[in-house]
Amino acid sequence: MIQAIQVLILGLALGGVYALMSSGMTLIFGVMRIVNLAHSAFIIMAAYIAFWLFNLLHVDPILSIVLTMPMMFVVGMLYYRILFASRADNPRFIDITVLITFASSLVVEGLLAFFFTGIYRSTTPDYAKRSFNFGPFFVPESQLFATVISIVLILGLWLFLRYTRVGSAIRATMQNRNAAQVVGVNVTWVSTLAFGIGLAMAGASGSLLSFIFTFFPAKHVAWIGMIMCLVVLGGMGSLMGALVSSFLLAAASAYVNFYIGSAWSPITFYLALFLILLFRPQGLFGKKVEV
Amino acid sequence: MGTLNVENVYAGYGSGPNILKGLSLTVESNKTYCIIGPNGAGKSTLLKVIAGLLKPREGQIKFNDEVISGLRPDQIMQRGLCYVPSDRSLFPDMTVKENLRMGGYVLRNPRLVKRRVDEVFTMFPVLKEKSSQAAKTLSGGQQQLCAVARAMILKPDMIMLDEPSLGLSPKVVQQIFGTITDLRSQGMTILLVEQNARKGLQIADQGVVLDLGTNSFERPAAEVLQDPRIQELYLGKRRQPLVTEAQK
Repeated sequence: MIQAIQVLILGLALGGVYALMSSGMTLIFGVMRIVNLAHSAFIIMAAYIAFWLFNLLHVDPILSIVLTMPMMFVVGMLYYRILFASRADNPRFIDITVLITFASSLVVEGLLAFFFTGIYRSTTPDYAKRSFNFGPFFVPESQLFATVISIVLILGLWLFLRYTRVGSAIRATMQNRNAAQVVGVNVTWVSTLAFGIGLAMAGASGSLLSFIFTFFPAKHVAWIGMIMCLVVLGGMGSLMGALVSSFLLAAASAYVNFYIGSAWSPITFYLALFLILLFRPQGLFGKKVEV
Repeated sequence: MGTLNVENVYAGYGSGPNILKGLSLTVESNKTYCIIGPNGAGKSTLLKVIAGLLKPREGQIKFNDEVISGLRPDQIMQRGLCYVPSDRSLFPDMTVKENLRMGGYVLRNPRLVKRRVDEVFTMFPVLKEKSSQAAKTLSGGQQQLCAVARAMILKPDMIMLDEPSLGLSPKVVQQIFGTITDLRSQGMTILLVEQNARKGLQIADQGVVLDLGTNSFERPAAEVLQDPRIQELYLGKRRQPLVTEAQK
C-alpha cells in the first residue's frame, strides 16, 4: 500500500510539468487551430538556453524562467507573424500549418544539433540531488519544485485569460473567431499574442525539465507524441483538460512503469489516446466541433 | 447622424469572382432600409463590406461623410456603425452578460461598459433574467435578441441586421420585428437584410432590391410592396389582399 502511494506521488510530481508543456500547445490550437508540431522542439530550445545559462553563468534553472519565458514569447510572436499570419485566410490553412510546424521542428532540431551537438544534457542544481521526506514517503525536490511552479504558471495563465481585457479577447477568439471580429477584436494581433504566450509556456517548461530529464536535440520527437496525447485527451483547446489529463496520465504511466515495466510506460499515453478517440473523441473537457 | 454612402463598390471573396458589381446605395439618417433579393445577390456580402470584415476591391464607402472603406472593423464600430450577422455570432460558452461585455470591447473602459450593459438590460429584461446563463443555452429568439443587444452596447447611430428572422418560429419573428420597430422609433438608422421580404418591407421606410450584385430597384417600402413585379418575384402571388393588410 505504501508502495502504491509512493508510486502515485512520484507520478503526480511529474504531472505539473506535463501540464505546462501541453498548456502552450492547447492554447495555440484553441486560438488558431494550429497543431504546433514544433512545440516540443521549442521546449528543448529553451532547455538548452537554461543549460548554458547554468553552465556558463551559474544561473539557477528555476530562475532562468524569467529569461526563457520572454525570449520564447518573442520567438513565438515572430514565428507566427512571419510564417502564419499572411496565410490565415487560405482555405487550406490547417494543412499548411501542419507542414510548416513539422518542418520547423526539423529545422530547430538541426540547428540545436549543429550548435550544441547531440550529447545528452541536463542541468544539475543542488536540489536535483535532494529529496523531500515525509513519513514513509519521499519526493525528489526537483520534481516537487517543477510541479509547483508549473501549477502557479498555469493558474496565472488561467487568471489572465479569465480576468483581463486581452484575456477575454483570446477566449472570444477561441470560441468564435468570426464573432470576435464582429465585436472588434483584432484577431491577427490576438493570434500573434497567443502564439507568443504559448511559446512562453514552452520556454518555462524547457527551464523546468532541464533538471528533471536529460535531453538532446532529437528528444522532441518522443515528447511531441506525449504532449499531443495529453492535449487530445484533455480536449483540444481546453486548459483545464490539459491539466487534468496531465496528472491522470502522469500517475497512470508511473504505475505502468513500476508494476509492468518501463518499456510499457510510453504505451500508456497512446493507449489513453486510442481509448479517448474511440469513446469520447472531443476529449475530457473538449467541445464537439461542428463543420 | 447615421448617413451611409456606398459608391460603386466591387467586392468578392479570396480570388473568386466579384459578388458586388458596382453597387451604389445611400442610406439616409434615421430611416429604416430593407434589402431584399434572391440568394447570391450579394446582400450579406454588402453588409460584410460595410462592416469592414471584407475589403472592397473598388469603390468607397462613407459614413457620416467620412471614408470608412479600408478601416478595420473595430475602427468602423467606434464611428457608430454596428453589424449583427445572420449566424448571431455569439460566444457559445460565455454567459449572456459576458457576451454583452464583449460588445463593449472597443470601448476600453470597464466602468462605462458595465453601465451600458445595465442600460441594455433595462431595454431587454428577458436577457437580464438569463444574464448568467451560457449563450448556447438560449433559445433562437433570445440568441438573436442577445446579438442585437450586444450591438446596442456601443450606442450606434446605425445598425445593420442580417436576416434577423432566420430559423425562428413565426411568433418569435413577430417579437424580433417588434424590437426592430422599437429601435426605429428611437431614431436609429437601420439597414435590414431580410429573406422574409414582406415582413421586412412592412417595417421599413425604403425598400432596396438587389440583383446580381447591383442595386436594381429602390423605392419607398410601401411602393415596393405594391409593385406587381416584386410581388410576383419575392412576395408570392397573393397580391391584392396582402397590400391592404399591410396598409391597415
